[in-house]
Amino acid sequence: MATLKENNLLNSLSQLGIGLGAKNQAFELLKGLEFPTRKTEDWKYTSVNKILKKNYVQVKEVESVDLSSELVPALEAHKVVLVNGMFSKELSDVNFPDSIILDTFPNALEEHLSLIHTSFNTIAQNRNEIFTAVNTSYFNEGVFVYVPKKVILDKPIHIIHVNTQNNVVSNVRFLIVAEPFSEVNIVQSFATKNAIDCLTNSVTEVFVKDNAKVVIDKIQSEEPGNNLICTVQAHQKDNSSFTVNTLTVSGDFVRNGVNVDVDGENCTSEMNGLYMQKGVQHVDNHTKVNHLKPNCTSFELYKGVLRDKATGVFNGKVIVEVDAQKIEAYQQNKNIILSREATMNAKPELEIYADDVKCSHGTTTGQFDEEAVFYLQARGISKDAAKNLLVEAFADEVLDKVKLEELRLWVKDKLD
Amino acid sequence: MDKEIKKMLEVKNLHASVGDKEILKGLNLEVKAGEVHAIMGPNGSGKSTLSAVLAGREEYEVTEGEVSYLGKELLELNPEERSWEGIFLAFQYPVEIPGVSNINFLKTAINERQKYFGKDPVAAKEFLKMVKEKSALVELSDKLKNRSVNVGFSGGEKKRNEIFQMAMLEPKLSILDETDSGLDIDALRIVAHGVNTLKSKDNASIVITHYQRLLDYIVPDFVHVLYDGRIIKTGGKELALELEEKGYDWLTKENA
Repeated sequence: MATLKENNLLNSLSQLGIGLGAKNQAFELLKGLEFPTRKTEDWKYTSVNKILKKNYVQVKEVESVDLSSELVPALEAHKVVLVNGMFSKELSDVNFPDSIILDTFPNALEEHLSLIHTSFNTIAQNRNEIFTAVNTSYFNEGVFVYVPKKVILDKPIHIIHVNTQNNVVSNVRFLIVAEPFSEVNIVQSFATKNAIDCLTNSVTEVFVKDNAKVVIDKIQSEEPGNNLICTVQAHQKDNSSFTVNTLTVSGDFVRNGVNVDVDGENCTSEMNGLYMQKGVQHVDNHTKVNHLKPNCTSFELYKGVLRDKATGVFNGKVIVEVDAQKIEAYQQNKNIILSREATMNAKPELEIYADDVKCSHGTTTGQFDEEAVFYLQARGISKDAAKNLLVEAFADEVLDKVKLEELRLWVKDKLD
Repeated sequence: MDKEIKKMLEVKNLHASVGDKEILKGLNLEVKAGEVHAIMGPNGSGKSTLSAVLAGREEYEVTEGEVSYLGKELLELNPEERSWEGIFLAFQYPVEIPGVSNINFLKTAINERQKYFGKDPVAAKEFLKMVKEKSALVELSDKLKNRSVNVGFSGGEKKRNEIFQMAMLEPKLSILDETDSGLDIDALRIVAHGVNTLKSKDNASIVITHYQRLLDYIVPDFVHVLYDGRIIKTGGKELALELEEKGYDWLTKENA
């Protein structure tokens, strides 16, 4: 309890909305948890001290904002906007397809309780992840997406979260349920607009049922001086496919947790990430794939380019349980360091308890391939242009995983 | 009629080192337009260092001497400027560059040169026409043209790709650094055919090689023997045959 009273983050939070059972339970769990220190294994290279010490305000009214910089103009999508943690009716689309259910939290908990009670907060790691417990205890609003059986959504759903005042703390919550044979692509943007010292703490629970297909493209483009913690907790059933692409464009502190329980056979799980950091930016990507059933494949490709005093962390864990035979798990993390003062900490972890599996992992961190730079120069491409060309080529391997072309080009443009 | 042949490259008393080790120890060489020069010599004599210094590799430090190229101080130019001014190095070990397409990279290179000379970028149609024509010269397939630079190319394909790039860039002075190494006879013929087709009275080549074999196909006007960082003998194409027969010992002993 001592910790709770001492830090400004929790002092600035108050529970909003109805006295939800889930919130109360999480709050009880939170009391027994401690914030991580450098001694906490999963947070060894990412200090949360600065984040906890800041004074925050919790916004209770919806603000209007010019969102043009965060929209992807060419992308045709169903748009849902949250501002400072609050749902903005004004900025969101009015009409959503009848074939799906799209609602906001906490409203959805009343309206669609029968659909939600088997999923909401059932896989969130309130017991072990303190920021998840904080989110569950204090989340203001969020979005619930329900894709019924056999519904294939042709347009993506673009969920935009933006902080617009200084020192805002936003706990936002998302639940995505894809019923059997359904398909959906969700784009989640996290941004700030003329704001500094904000903290966004987002938790997304995803249920990918039998033969369903879910893609989440996360675009993180907060301004310098802002902090983002982004957790995705997914659960897959038989023959399903789940992909998370995490593209970190900017923001000073970004921690991504992607945890996938593959609880079905013949599943495909894919996690890709790209981080291009400058200044004092810190990006930490933690992934965990838990193979519980046989005959599945998981792919991971995380790539980063670090400039100036940027720091990066990659920690990818693959667990293959005893009964999960015939698993193929591939993991790669590649980094280019462009400055003496930039650092990268990469750690792949494999825990394999089954005997008939194919797993590989590899991590590389280095400077530019000077031979390649010289080769390009010798053909008449100036040194700077050569380096840009090589960075672009390096990043393209991850960007190519984003299937929405308009989105891919938009991110590519932002990265230049 | 102007009978004077244009002096292209003049290397005077060139000394160059890598780290503390001096490799070139006073090299002299003169190349005029329209000429083909072969540089031969045993391993470690400085052949690759010469090509690296001419192309502008940073690891090599020139400690003495000068290099004039078409009236310019070559050593003052960085590698890309040398390329724009018409120097081309065919690499002994062409570099693989994943994610950068062969064609895009050539387009970037050509347009950067256009910019250097204050010209407009080459039109897409004209560029593609050029690609088609020049790739046919070295029998480079469409598949290879569009792939990442040298990635997944066989040894022979890499060398053919070098000559394709040379054809696209239309250099004034080409330096072929052991282009024959690792080539089978068919690939050698294709590469040599490319080089010979590109030859004109306005350009020149320096062919660096270990073996006489390449010189059956690319016939030199001069053959130089490089030994211990200096050119110790210069002759006509028959010198290459003599070296093939007698080796380098009879020359190196004279100079020991």
